[in-house]
Amino acid sequence: MDASQVTQITDLMYALRNPAGLPTYPIIFVGLSVLTFALHILFVQLMLGTSVITLVGAFSQNAYWRRLGSAMLEVAKVSVSVAIVVGVAPLLFVQVVYDPHWYTSNVLSADWVIGFIVLLILGYWAMYYYYFVNGANKDKTATPKARWSMLTSLALMLVVGFIMHSLTSQILHPELWKSWYLQKNGMLDYSGDKLHEWNLWRYAFFISLSIPVAGGMLVTYRRFKSVREDADMAYLNWAAEVGKKWIKVGSVISTLLYVGWMMTLPETARNFATSFWGIAGGVAVIFYAIWAQIRLNGEARFCSYMALPMALVIGLVVAISREMLRYDILNGFFHYDFWDYKIVFDWYSTGLFFLTFAIVGGVVLSYFLTIAWKAGQTVGVYTPSAFVNRLGTLSIWIVVLWVLQFFVVGFYIWAR
Amino acid sequence: MDLISLYPTWYEPTVGSGWVVAFIATFHVLASHTSVGAALLFAYLSHKAYREDREDLLDFVKKYGLFLLVFTYVAGSITGPGIWYSTTVASPNGIGALIHSFVWKWATEWVFFVIEVVGVYMIVYLVGKVDKRTHMKISVIFGVASLATMLIIVGILSFMMLPGKEAWFQDGGYLNGFYGTNTFIQMAMRMAFMFTMTAVVGGIVVAGIKDPAFKKEMARKLGWLGIISTIIGAALFQLYLKAVPDQALLVMENRLPSYFQPSIIAVLAGTLAYFILTMIRPQVLVQAFAGGMAVVILVAGLWPEETARESMRKPWVAGQYVYSNQVIGRDVPGMGIKSQIPLLEKEGILKAHPFTPDNLRTVNDGNKIQAGKFIAMVYCSNCHSPSKTGIRPLHRYIPDNITEARMEKYVKGVLTTGNIAYMPKMPMLDSEVKALSAFLVMNKKGGEKAVDAAIQQEIKDRNHAYAEKQAESKVAMTQEVK
Repeated sequence: MDASQVTQITDLMYALRNPAGLPTYPIIFVGLSVLTFALHILFVQLMLGTSVITLVGAFSQNAYWRRLGSAMLEVAKVSVSVAIVVGVAPLLFVQVVYDPHWYTSNVLSADWVIGFIVLLILGYWAMYYYYFVNGANKDKTATPKARWSMLTSLALMLVVGFIMHSLTSQILHPELWKSWYLQKNGMLDYSGDKLHEWNLWRYAFFISLSIPVAGGMLVTYRRFKSVREDADMAYLNWAAEVGKKWIKVGSVISTLLYVGWMMTLPETARNFATSFWGIAGGVAVIFYAIWAQIRLNGEARFCSYMALPMALVIGLVVAISREMLRYDILNGFFHYDFWDYKIVFDWYSTGLFFLTFAIVGGVVLSYFLTIAWKAGQTVGVYTPSAFVNRLGTLSIWIVVLWVLQFFVVGFYIWAR
Repeated sequence: MDLISLYPTWYEPTVGSGWVVAFIATFHVLASHTSVGAALLFAYLSHKAYREDREDLLDFVKKYGLFLLVFTYVAGSITGPGIWYSTTVASPNGIGALIHSFVWKWATEWVFFVIEVVGVYMIVYLVGKVDKRTHMKISVIFGVASLATMLIIVGILSFMMLPGKEAWFQDGGYLNGFYGTNTFIQMAMRMAFMFTMTAVVGGIVVAGIKDPAFKKEMARKLGWLGIISTIIGAALFQLYLKAVPDQALLVMENRLPSYFQPSIIAVLAGTLAYFILTMIRPQVLVQAFAGGMAVVILVAGLWPEETARESMRKPWVAGQYVYSNQVIGRDVPGMGIKSQIPLLEKEGILKAHPFTPDNLRTVNDGNKIQAGKFIAMVYCSNCHSPSKTGIRPLHRYIPDNITEARMEKYVKGVLTTGNIAYMPKMPMLDSEVKALSAFLVMNKKGGEKAVDAAIQQEIKDRNHAYAEKQAESKVAMTQEVK
């Protein structure tokens, strides 16, 4: 690619920017995008990993595996919901800063973008179908029915993940966008029926992280359930051992796939693989195995609770590496600088978000998660302490006050 | 070269990209409105269960919650971002305009989404596992948080029709764009209808109640909720029509299908009759009947309503400055936005579009049909399908015996000048007018097949001419060397 071609591509990307600009500095959106992506992908991996455990349990004759499969189905169900709802945030932020890239990539594969919605709904429903067919059965060691539906669910989720992977990969190839639009026979392709770009190493890497993440879940599961009066410690210890193995073996597999990804980066990524962030991503992943080997010895009561936060930290390093790769290609090679996005400051909406995030989100979720946590560890009915009750009352007041401020400010602006 | 912010065009030949958006959006409205209404209903029922120490009400909340979790939360939480996905591919600048003005509002809504999703699981799975008082608190938080998501999104939806305050165009600012008469009336109307939907969908759960006395009690509760909300919603709809721009009413009178008005009235009347019947004779409330009624609301009520909202915005798609064909048609000094019309008038659409292939940037006899189709795709296909089927097909608007000369007159006199109230102004160079007209006439007379054959011939001729030229220059070079 010569300099004039690069300039043409850079001009194209700048032309596509939304003229409305941004309400605050682009770095804030990029930062939030990376953070929320790390959270999103953690739940995606948790959902995939626990789905695999559900399936292993479903096809195994081992009573422990059966029980574990049934328990992990509950985690998988909730993880899909959380992955979807948390995934809304990076989806929002990528449209803000990388709108030229995200929109072009999506339009050129529009049928797949729409298919994504349908397949995700079907995959989710297939998982629920499996749950409803088997959920009522008290004997968790019985052979489950409709195992095909859980298989279907996992397969659809993997397809959905591949679509998203492909759309994200297409962002990184602005030099190919016009050639994807104009077919080889000279006709323009308005159909959006093709996925144009992917890297199987990259896709396999992100999917493979489901193994160590699911391992982290199992270790946490043992720790969480172990305090219940009715805990079956033999079963729980077995589950934790499986988890430790999955963390170690899975991290090694993921690291190898990461190396494969780095070795197959496009030319436009130049020396990224040997750069600090290129190396940091892989080191972070293998570090999870080392951490598990050292810190999860024996009962490891405290560290067991650290297994998932540790996975999040590692995911965050990978998410930063991923973002740096994008920056390296789009800015480093094509000179598209997201820092110079036009800014039309809006302090009110910026402030309202951060206050809502910190106060409403912080207090209410603290209350919700405390209740869920305690109820899960209690046999019978859980009655919260006076402090937790007060936290509940405070949460109600906070959300009600939020709604009130919405109307007070709104009516003031309206009447002004 | 000056380029404007236009993306490639996605064209779905069977139903049209606009309808794909409408399908997803309509389904999402049913799911999301029902969820919010039900969240508030749960808050009320949990409170009552706590005060009166009733297990049956909590059991109802659990069953309705589980039903919602599987059908509306799964589908609703996916079709929500699904609307982003569909509008991204069908109308990237439309959704981009909303995202760039309201990104923090969406982010704020996301905080409430997270609370909602965690909350719905807790409401369903913690019945009998936490005390009633705690369940009530969770339900109240869940209800208010759900309501907050609706309040936030309605401000953004109303901006699509009209920024809250006229001052927004001049001064900008999120608050001016978000709050206005249109916002509050639409909000009230949606809240009313969301209770109607909650009552209808809740009927599916009531149908499954075994105890006749409890079934009667819940049928009455939902019946009253449905009757009152339907009547208030219908009254608010009349008020809403007074809050939209005159232009929107003009479009509504002229462009909406004839079945719109009668179908809305029939659905409202049918809904009221349904509630009265189920209150008087709860035993007729079976799941198939209630499920059928939910489908009626979706197909005959929401579909025309969403179609109307989409039509009434024309020629704009967002904020009265982004045309439905993605071109920015108006200055917005408050946001530093410039109309793209002057550039298009000077350079033409082919030169200004970033994705125009090099060989189509200037129209000539060898690319006329392909250039014409490209222009039609950019300027027309968001609202008019160039195929036989789909959304408002182009061929239906063109007389059978039209000539290219007549077509050119129409395109130049009407489309490039913006002389149709509900259609964007579409500036074109004379050569582009000729290309578009040639395409439209060929599309009318021979359909897509004829157009594709003509384009293939153009490409073949072009390749042939290029190959000949290459050969000639090779011969010339050889002779020079000799």
